[in-house]
Amino acid sequence: MAETVWSTDTGEAVYRSRDPVRNLRLRVHLQRITSSNFLHYQPAAELGKDLIDLATFRPQPTASGHRPEEDEEEEIVIGWQEKLFSQFEVDLYQNETACQSPLDYQYRQEILKLENSGGKKNRRIFTYTDSDRYTNLEEHCQRMTTAASEVPSFLVERMANVRRRRQDRRGMEGGILKSRIVTWEPSEEFVRNNHVINTPLQTMHIMADLGPYKKLGYKKYEHVLCTLKVDSNGVITVKPDFTGLKGPYRIETEGEKQELWKYTIDNVSPHAQPEEEERERRVFKDLYGRHKEYLSSLVGTDFEMTVPGALRLFVNGEVVSAQGYEYDNLYVHFFVELPTAHWSSPAFQQLSGVTQTCTTKSLAMDKVAHFSYPFTFEAFFLHEDESSDALPEWPVLYCEVLSLDFWQRYRVEGYGAVVLPATPGSHTLTVSTWRPVELGTVAELRRFFIGGSLELEDLSYVRIPGSFKGERLSRFGLRTETTGTVTFRLHCLQQSRAFMESSSLQKRMRSVLDRLEGFSQQSSIHNVLEAFRRARRRMQEARESLPQDLVSPSGTLVS
Amino acid sequence: MAEVHVIGQIIGASGFSESSLFCKWGIHTGAAWKLLSGVREGQTQVDTPQIGDMAYWSHPIDLHFATKGLQGWPRLHFQVWSQDSFGRCQLAGYGFCHVPSSPGTHQLACPTWRPLGSWREQLARAFVGGGPQLLHGDTIYSGADRYRLHTAAGGTVHLEIGLLLRNFDRYGVEC
Repeated sequence: MAETVWSTDTGEAVYRSRDPVRNLRLRVHLQRITSSNFLHYQPAAELGKDLIDLATFRPQPTASGHRPEEDEEEEIVIGWQEKLFSQFEVDLYQNETACQSPLDYQYRQEILKLENSGGKKNRRIFTYTDSDRYTNLEEHCQRMTTAASEVPSFLVERMANVRRRRQDRRGMEGGILKSRIVTWEPSEEFVRNNHVINTPLQTMHIMADLGPYKKLGYKKYEHVLCTLKVDSNGVITVKPDFTGLKGPYRIETEGEKQELWKYTIDNVSPHAQPEEEERERRVFKDLYGRHKEYLSSLVGTDFEMTVPGALRLFVNGEVVSAQGYEYDNLYVHFFVELPTAHWSSPAFQQLSGVTQTCTTKSLAMDKVAHFSYPFTFEAFFLHEDESSDALPEWPVLYCEVLSLDFWQRYRVEGYGAVVLPATPGSHTLTVSTWRPVELGTVAELRRFFIGGSLELEDLSYVRIPGSFKGERLSRFGLRTETTGTVTFRLHCLQQSRAFMESSSLQKRMRSVLDRLEGFSQQSSIHNVLEAFRRARRRMQEARESLPQDLVSPSGTLVS
Repeated sequence: MAEVHVIGQIIGASGFSESSLFCKWGIHTGAAWKLLSGVREGQTQVDTPQIGDMAYWSHPIDLHFATKGLQGWPRLHFQVWSQDSFGRCQLAGYGFCHVPSSPGTHQLACPTWRPLGSWREQLARAFVGGGPQLLHGDTIYSGADRYRLHTAAGGTVHLEIGLLLRNFDRYGVEC
């Protein structure tokens, strides 16, 4: 008690629950501290001490002015949409002329029944449920600013109509969508439903009657302790939040007799029984298990794998565009070259392609040709001998851009090459190209008038020619001219058994080669086993093909 | 079995000389792939830009695939058409792009092209519309026989695709 810290944060809190909201239980504890004009003049540090004194003295009737203790403090557990009548309502509905609606009559019946059975159990704390008039009024008259008169906006009026009791209309939404996409003549109701948020919301207010002793049942002493809102998706909004470990909330009543009240709100919803929870978990597990079985029955559980020790490089690529070339009507001829050592690819694989001829269009400064040409290939990297320390060579993509004009004259526009990215993922590669030129105007004239020009004999000359054996590669003497660029988009995937076991940390730190390393041993074991299996099969075949009479007498010999 | 979720939208198209564009799209996969849920093709509404040349469709794509292998990774293909004030439709471009392989959100721009035809057809297209179309739709997303075509560059289709992969790491695939 000495450490009473007031909680001044009365903001709302949002909770989500899959369980039905009718299980929601709240415990509200309300207590009068003292007349607050007394506390006003105390320094803050003294406040705690006073509370101790009060608590100590409370049993004495003089300390709080001839009030029974029960009027000072009240604790009550409230369920969702549970109606607790206030003194005002009890007084009102006992008079039959005040009853107008069926709900009023129902309340009257309940109140009379309560009176017969010995009065209501709550005193100060009471509730307004979703169907009460107060909830409607509150919706309508709630003020947001200090403005003297606040006129409810269009949206407020709409919301007041729409917010509540709309569960019955939910069914229509799907039907409308299917038949017509656009409503040409929206009806009044359609507008009302669709121009504001449309989640059905149930509201409940927990109130307190903070009137002076023996003067309960006046509207002006009613205070909202807590507002609860629940929508159909199981979102529960509590304003203010459950007290929990925070300090209690405070209310200072207005008027000449300022009084200070504190209250706490706690969630005391019953927890599910352990066996029930267990059953729920089992049901979910069962459901997921069945779904998994269903999936595997549809697709199967296997997945194509690589041989041990091999790295499979799978590339989904596109020739996107070519830009910045001198002539129109471009096409791209490209191919992938696998390094001779360690690399292989399936026999059916196509490693080259020719795009369509495309006329360019102007985009900013450049003339662009669009190809959108797909290609897919896969290659295997088998790193067998660990002794060689050389870095693995990676496949190279070569491209050649040509133009073809109306008179069937073609011209080489450029050559380029790029090493495929070694990391998996999506890459956009822009390959800059060049073309060889001949000195002198004659060659240029020939290119202009009859097409054709210098061409590379071997496309691999763009990088390191295949026939090259030496220490230094020199291209001195070759004159070139920069031309445009070709854009490729590549989505690379790498697959290896080595990746299955390495942890995610290792993945980041080590290069592909390092990670493959341990598995080359495994692959050599695999090779030995494979050789053994082949040998055994050959022996079995040989044994079966032997003449029967040769085998049976010398059975001991064979075995 | 590994699973792939493709969730995203066709945002729109830019760079087309025609206005009032709409787009037919589809997704092509290999034999190892199976569509578990979602629709594999669709058509957007006709959008007429008021300002600029970018037509916005914001057309949703939501697909769930299961696969037994990497072969036949999904390919998206598009046909962009323009509709004139008489309700006549005319081809504006064919486009294609691979569904990316790495998980995450990807902003993609797919350039398009259209068959050009002879000069007589080009002239006719300029005045009364029409123009040649592909005989087989699969040419959009396959490379074979492309060299027979003579095309013109069209605009660009913009996509935003989010990709979720499942179980690929179990089979040693890095994407």
